[in-house]
Amino acid sequence: MAAQLPSIRALPRPAVRPRLSVRRLRLAGLPLDVVIPASVFVLVALACFVGPALFHIQGPSAGNLLATNLPPLSAGHLFGTNALGDDLLSLCLFGGRVSIEVGLGSVGLGLVIGTALGVSAGFFGGPAEATIMRVLDMLLAFPSLVIAATITTYLGQNEHNVIFAIAFFTVPAMARLARASTLKVRDRDYIAVARISGRPPRAIVVRHVLPNIAPQLMTFSILMVGTAILIEAALSFLGLGVPPPQPSWGQLIAAGQNVLQTQPWFIFEPGAFLLVTVLCLNLLGDALRIRWAEER
Amino acid sequence: MAVSRSDRALKSAVAPNASGAAAPSPATAGRLLEVEHLEVAFQVGASTVHAVNDVSFGIAEGRTLGIIGESGSGKSVTARTILGLLRASNVRVGGSIRFDGTELLGLSERRLSELRGSQIALVPQDPTRSLNPTVQIGKQIVEAIRLHEAVPREAAKRRAIDLLGRVRLPSPNQRFFEYPHQLSGGMRQRAVIAMALSCSPRLLIADEATTALDVTTQAQIMELLMDLQRDFNMAMLVISHDIAIAAAYTDEVAVMYAGRVVEHAPTGRLLEGVRMPYTQALLEAVPTIDRAPHAPLRVVPGVPPDPTHAIVGCAFAKRCPLVQEICTTETPALLEHLPLHSWACFVSGPEVAVERR
Repeated sequence: MAAQLPSIRALPRPAVRPRLSVRRLRLAGLPLDVVIPASVFVLVALACFVGPALFHIQGPSAGNLLATNLPPLSAGHLFGTNALGDDLLSLCLFGGRVSIEVGLGSVGLGLVIGTALGVSAGFFGGPAEATIMRVLDMLLAFPSLVIAATITTYLGQNEHNVIFAIAFFTVPAMARLARASTLKVRDRDYIAVARISGRPPRAIVVRHVLPNIAPQLMTFSILMVGTAILIEAALSFLGLGVPPPQPSWGQLIAAGQNVLQTQPWFIFEPGAFLLVTVLCLNLLGDALRIRWAEER
Repeated sequence: MAVSRSDRALKSAVAPNASGAAAPSPATAGRLLEVEHLEVAFQVGASTVHAVNDVSFGIAEGRTLGIIGESGSGKSVTARTILGLLRASNVRVGGSIRFDGTELLGLSERRLSELRGSQIALVPQDPTRSLNPTVQIGKQIVEAIRLHEAVPREAAKRRAIDLLGRVRLPSPNQRFFEYPHQLSGGMRQRAVIAMALSCSPRLLIADEATTALDVTTQAQIMELLMDLQRDFNMAMLVISHDIAIAAAYTDEVAVMYAGRVVEHAPTGRLLEGVRMPYTQALLEAVPTIDRAPHAPLRVVPGVPPDPTHAIVGCAFAKRCPLVQEICTTETPALLEHLPLHSWACFVSGPEVAVERR
């Protein structure tokens, strides 16, 4: 009976066209959807931190009053200059330092404190968990920008306080994620086995809980850096971020607002930096999240 | 009252330390684990779930007890209670659990982990969830060894490789460095067993240890556990829903239903003549190769009773083919109707074994 049935060898091979998607492309064994945004972000960061020294770009407030309001692509001033003759490229690069420092700093703070709080709440439970989570819920209930603005106004405007203010939003967000991930891992049998064999709880957390929730936390952190940078820009835009003369992207955008009709590049230039940076972080975070979800 | 009678009989029945290996202390000559009148209740909202009711059994060193029952019969809760894993505030535990003469219930977490840490080990059900996916399996075993003994890393590593060999994991030298996802289910379960053995436990609890595996692997793992039990002279508590496993690999069987032990006997005696209709139903539900092809599988009709409500009468009455009026009004006690063989049923007496269909 089986002999009459056609063998699959005789059937025409289906034309399967591999779907073109960035997610499947690789460069030197590395997935492009991760590599591209990551390297662009690193480039922006390098440009901000070592670019000025490398290319002998003048300081952000070393303006020449004889060369004010130059348009982009002027000699020596690729991005043009502002009303004080300050180089706009230099302002953007030095402004980027603040954005990236604040983004990484506030998320780093959130990662450390939030993970500590969330993991202990999730792993140990009990009244401590309820207390920690309710307090953090209260913090999350505030609009992040409003609470950050309040804190910088109250504590004084400088970079540390901006980091601190944004951490008020990153800590509870991170803690909630850490707790949820911990709850998922807590009931795994390897933790029961570790408990039975007499491992102290702290060792269980370090050995078994943290490594297993690390992928979620890392992915979320990257997405959060983008959000933190946006909050920083918003604070600066409102004049509540780092005070001048230290430049920042939000501040530059705010300054450009007045001359939007005549000199739109005043806004587009820092805006483009902001856009590229946050977009890269979001793409990177998304790519990692998808990759991580597929591995499960 | 009734339970203590069967209890006494069992004590005399189980030969102390049958393998004759050197006993560490005279105290271990008796039964290693004794569970008496164990009760476990969970508070869920306003209702109380009685997961385990008045359960008593014991295991002597080097012997195997099987606890059999379907989902929700309380067998895993019993195991977790013995291990001291149920410590949530909504759990109430009554009765007594003695390990090597020490009462485990009411011990502080610290004392308990000292006591059980090196003496009781668990082989959980699902090998995909019982190894940490982020750590090499060899490393996990080394850590388990070094937790209880101050041995140098190198010596612990040699021990771990030796253990992996003893659980018959092929090429243990390479497997040592592999991560759990690189192993098949059966191989992972072998690694889990190696980890459980790393402290040379005196009691091994296998909680559905073969349920997630296919049948041939299941047999291999059970054979392996039996061999290791002999080598290490461990007592074993085998928890399973599969009565065939109990029949093949245990010395003694306790059948649980709705949180109670309903039949308890040495395995041989039990299989000679099952008395409790529920055990009979379980036996009949085992598919055999000589059944007519494509015949529907026999199942135990109905579902177990809702544990949130107090059960009036015999818990099995609604599903029992032999049900009589008394079964729905009074709860049968677990009585030792025959030497060593106790069951909880009003209908089947010592003279009539339940009819085999």
